[in-house]
Amino acid sequence: MNRREEGKRKGERKVRWGAFFATAVIIIVIILFQWPKMKQAPKKDKWAFGVLLLIGWGLSMFDLQHMGGPTAWIEALFRPFGKFMEK
Amino acid sequence: MEKGKISSLQMAMMMYPAIVATAILSVPSITAAYAEQDLWLSPILASLTGFATAYIAVRLHKLYPSQTVIQFSEQIIGRIPGKVLSFFILVYCIQSTGQITRAYGEFIVTFFLFKTPLIVIIASMVLLCAVVVYGGVEVLGRAAQLFFPVFVVPLILLIPLLSPNFEIGNILPILEGGMMPPIKGAIMPSAWFTEIFLILFFLPFLADREKGMKYGMITVFVVMITLVVVNLIVLFVLGITTASKEYPLMIASRYISYADFFENLDAVIMAIWIVGAFVKISVFYYVVALGTAQWLNLSDYRPIIWPIGILIVQFSFWSLPSTMEFSRYQNTALPFYANFIQVFIPLFLLVVAVVRKRKQIGSKTS
Repeated sequence: MNRREEGKRKGERKVRWGAFFATAVIIIVIILFQWPKMKQAPKKDKWAFGVLLLIGWGLSMFDLQHMGGPTAWIEALFRPFGKFMEK
Repeated sequence: MEKGKISSLQMAMMMYPAIVATAILSVPSITAAYAEQDLWLSPILASLTGFATAYIAVRLHKLYPSQTVIQFSEQIIGRIPGKVLSFFILVYCIQSTGQITRAYGEFIVTFFLFKTPLIVIIASMVLLCAVVVYGGVEVLGRAAQLFFPVFVVPLILLIPLLSPNFEIGNILPILEGGMMPPIKGAIMPSAWFTEIFLILFFLPFLADREKGMKYGMITVFVVMITLVVVNLIVLFVLGITTASKEYPLMIASRYISYADFFENLDAVIMAIWIVGAFVKISVFYYVVALGTAQWLNLSDYRPIIWPIGILIVQFSFWSLPSTMEFSRYQNTALPFYANFIQVFIPLFLLVVAVVRKRKQIGSKTS
């Protein structure tokens, strides 16, 4: 039982290929939909579009739920105030 | 970038669900945890931050009438500091959008679609909102206008339908523990009231700009009344046990039994909630898309709506492994974070802008 749980936890730390490929499919659909409309757009727009998609794709590799991020940092930052709210 | 125009009434109809939608469900129990039977006082105290934010926002808007906060922060405090400040505002907005979507998903999973994975509910809602945001501010305004009665009428109907279950005595004793418990209970709802800050992104697109202040204040006032009424309904029906329920209004609505015909109306509450959450997420989503495009000086915000949608779904999970963690974040960090971004940053900008304007006038006359 213990070993299985451990394995499970290890599995979670690996790259989540399911989410990764699902996001890849979504991104391909987005590009197919949006790119033809962006032919006239300035270069900057195309770059922003591409970079934002890449950020989204990159983030999809991680196990976001158990990872530190802006939300966790904010929580740490405001912890002294939060103490006031905890009864 | 945005060529659409909305009326100030449409803005108010957009902002009302944008504040109230999530507030009516979770605020009563959070407030009750601190204020107990005085929970109806807390929204009145919390609304003070709302009025202050609306006032600051409109004053800022009057100094830079055709720009949003992302654009004029650069003019007020310089290019680089302005970009940094706007970046924090944008991160806050995208985080909030994710967390609102998460709250929506959690609610649906808890009460109605027990077996559906959370991600499916969240992703489908974000997709729907993306389509609305793609339509632009006019479509958003009209969608909000269309759904406004659907959102408000059932909420008003709850009062007569629940009134047979009212125990008016639950309100006593008033102010048993002094003023401190209601004040503590007001810190949390103040996070919702500060969301009126988002009018800064809509004021430049108003067809009747002079009414912006009036409708901003009306919105805050109506939100306050709604929250007081909802808190009172919940208090009259559930009494002190309100604090232990996660979604008290939902539980209270299950008490409805009128003429053996109106029963099991919790589905109505769900309908209100979905409509409200849809408007709320769309408003936040629009702000993120428009703000990001302005931050990067793009020519259009439409292309980046889809990538931002992916980010919103990711932010709805990021660092929030469970419902427990999520509600702890909402209780301890969010009120201060929201007040910091949505009250102190605009206030700071306003003070700097006013001082600089005075200096300019002073140097011109001398």
